[in-house]
This record gives sequence, C-alpha cells and structure tokens, in this order.
Amino acid sequence: MSNIEPAHDLLDKVILRQLDLLEQKIKCELNIESNVNNGSIHLAKSRYIMGQSSVSTTKLPTESSPDFSASIMCKTIEEDGMTKLKLYQNKENTIVPLHWFGVLVPQNLHMAQKIFQTTLSYVVECSNIQLQLKENMKNINALRKYLNIISKS
Amino acid sequence: MALHAAVKGKLISVIGDEDTCVGFLLGGIGEINKNRHPNFMVVDKNTPVSEIEECFKRFVKRDDIDIILINQNIAELIRHVIDAHSAPVPSVLEIPSKDHPYDASKDSILRRAKGMFNPDDLVR
Repeated sequence: MSNIEPAHDLLDKVILRQLDLLEQKIKCELNIESNVNNGSIHLAKSRYIMGQSSVSTTKLPTESSPDFSASIMCKTIEEDGMTKLKLYQNKENTIVPLHWFGVLVPQNLHMAQKIFQTTLSYVVECSNIQLQLKENMKNINALRKYLNIISKS
Repeated sequence: MALHAAVKGKLISVIGDEDTCVGFLLGGIGEINKNRHPNFMVVDKNTPVSEIEECFKRFVKRDDIDIILINQNIAELIRHVIDAHSAPVPSVLEIPSKDHPYDASKDSILRRAKGMFNPDDLVR
C-alpha cells in the first residue's frame, strides 16, 4: 500500500512532462512552418527572376546523376543518458546544391538556402522532442501497469 | 556498412511537394548513393499513393537514414503505414508545407500521446 503514493506522484510528474513535451513539439512545428513559408517565398522570387522551370524538380539530381553525399547529416549522441540527434557537417564527396540551378543564381536563392538550413536545426530539435515523447509514453505505460498490479494485490 | 554509417553520420530524407524538396535539398540534405538511390521523393498531384507508400517503406528499411521528413498532407495519404511505424529510428517527422499549415490533431505522434490522457485512466 505504501508503494502506491510514490508511484502516483511519479506518474503525475511523468504526465506533466508529457504535456510539456507536447507543447514543445507544437512550438517547434510552428517554427518549421514559418521557416518553410519564408523559404518558399524566396524560392518563388527566384522563379520570378530566373523563369518558372529554372527552380523546379527538373533541376534536381535523378537516379542517373553521378553519386554524391549529403553535406548535412545527423549523428546519434548520448546526452544525460538519453539518445539524441545532432546535425553534422559532412565534407566528403559533397556538391554545391546551388549549382543545380545555375552558376550565377539570384540572392533570393541564397536566402532560401540559408532559411532551409536553419529549418534543419528545428527539424532535429523536433525529432529529439519526439524521441523523448516516445520514451515518456513507455514510462507512463510501465507505471500504469505497475499501479494496476499493486492495487490488485 | 552499419559501422561506416555510424562514423559518417546518417541521412535526413524527405518526401514532399516541390518546394519542400527543392528547399531542403538546397539546404544540403540530398544524396544519391553508390546504388543510385536518392533520399528524397517529390510528390505531385499525379503521384500514386502506392508509390509514396513504397518509398516510405524503403526509407524506413534503409539503415543510413535517421530522420524521414514528410509533408503532413502526404502523410495523411499513407496514415496507416505511418501509424504502424513505432520504432524510434528512423524518426518520422510530419512537417507543414506552404499550402497546408500544421494541424496538431492529425500528427501521428501527438494523437498517440494525447490518447494516453483518457480521463478514465487519470482518475485515481
């Protein structure tokens, strides 16, 4: 019986943490949304300057293009006993993505690139929050099972 | 292969509309590997749902991908496949696009997390 109270207190804490994580996740998604919108405006301005099809999927590499590596990747790290993702700059076999759209590209395309690079840090932050949410959900389920068992006995 | 990927870092893949793909690839996440497999898929109004589903499953199976970005409106089309994915890695992140703002009530993780707050369960 004496084990029930501490378990309930712990469950309260974990649930509060869950609500906090939900709020953080929504905030992060809204940051991604405003960045994607800003980036899209700069892509549209680039299209206006360069022509409709000059900034489109037709310029992206295809399966027949030579192989290359991503310049921005992510790495798994252990921090405070938790698995986290972190952005990582790769310098091997990379290319300059701006060159897909031409050599002298407008300033707006550079701006769009910077904005989408910033968005990537929000993406990783959001993924980390998601990982914590999943971990927290496991803890809540485990605590509920434990409480069920001890309340029956 | 796995060791090599761990040292090198892992990829962020994207399934999205034209602007989302162009933008994130411009950001530097795009890759065509030695087997000529890209880590991105551009979805337009003519793309069949089966193709999106197949691509998503392929990305989940790849051990060099840590994050899968997918536009929320596209995620809606393959919701059953996304809901079935429960492993922590790769992390599936539903992102808004310029035409479809973020809707928290549709997000797979948030729906799962909110589902835990069933009023009956919270009563002591």
